[in-house]
Amino acid sequence: MASISPDCQELKDKYDTCFNNWYSNKFLQGSIESDCDHLFTLYRACVWKAIHEKNIDRLIQDARKESPFREAPADPDAAHPSSS
Amino acid sequence: MVRVFQQSFDYPYDWATATRAVWQKYPNPFASHVISSDLIDVHHDPATGVLCTVRLFRKMGHVPRWGRLFMQSGSNEAYILEHAYVDARQQTMRTVTQNLSHTKIMVVEETQVYTPAPDAPTARTRVTNKARFISNAGWESIKSRIEGFGLARFHENTQKSAQGLSYVMERLAGTRAAPRLGAVVPPSP
Repeated sequence: MASISPDCQELKDKYDTCFNNWYSNKFLQGSIESDCDHLFTLYRACVWKAIHEKNIDRLIQDARKESPFREAPADPDAAHPSSS
Repeated sequence: MVRVFQQSFDYPYDWATATRAVWQKYPNPFASHVISSDLIDVHHDPATGVLCTVRLFRKMGHVPRWGRLFMQSGSNEAYILEHAYVDARQQTMRTVTQNLSHTKIMVVEETQVYTPAPDAPTARTRVTNKARFISNAGWESIKSRIEGFGLARFHENTQKSAQGLSYVMERLAGTRAAPRLGAVVPPSP
């Protein structure tokens, strides 16, 4: 899958491979170990540079600030449809 | 006025496969309008075990001719932000997506919750899909028309999105051959 910037493609591909392996083989097995931090630091720096250059960082901030939906998405209890 | 749409259905795969597919959803043959996908933030809380991520998608939008009046520079591209929360212990994944572009026309917030299906927890995954539409257009008549359009479009998109995700699940479960999507082959020395 393409990255927002072709400059980040190689970093994205490496990170995605690492993340998907980690998710299947560590995270889903209950491990709290993280394997991909170093790759993410590099990929994140690249992708946020592209976000700044395209002025999307303002859109991201505005969406969080002006969103008409103020629901706290981190509430884990709200994630269970059966509990309602 | 806010319009709400909700539906749920089951995928014939276990929860682990279903959530793996969410991360690898793009590209798929039902989502040619999705141009790019990036993970822009990630946080794994060691205390709760909950994984939180933020992804940014760029899509080719579909806006009716009258809707383009509200848009800048005739651009048909749109950015979508997704927050995801995965609790492996509780086997719950929740994604919340919102459009970043064209918010003057309409804001669509879509929440999807993936849990093991109560009647077949190891075989099927239930997804509950909820969308809320709110238009920020000035005139009531236009507003209502835009929200109606969003809702009609949403029915269509939900189906396509589910087909795409099913396709990826089948591939991960090994019940479908891996697609050939223009892999880049490095030149031989």
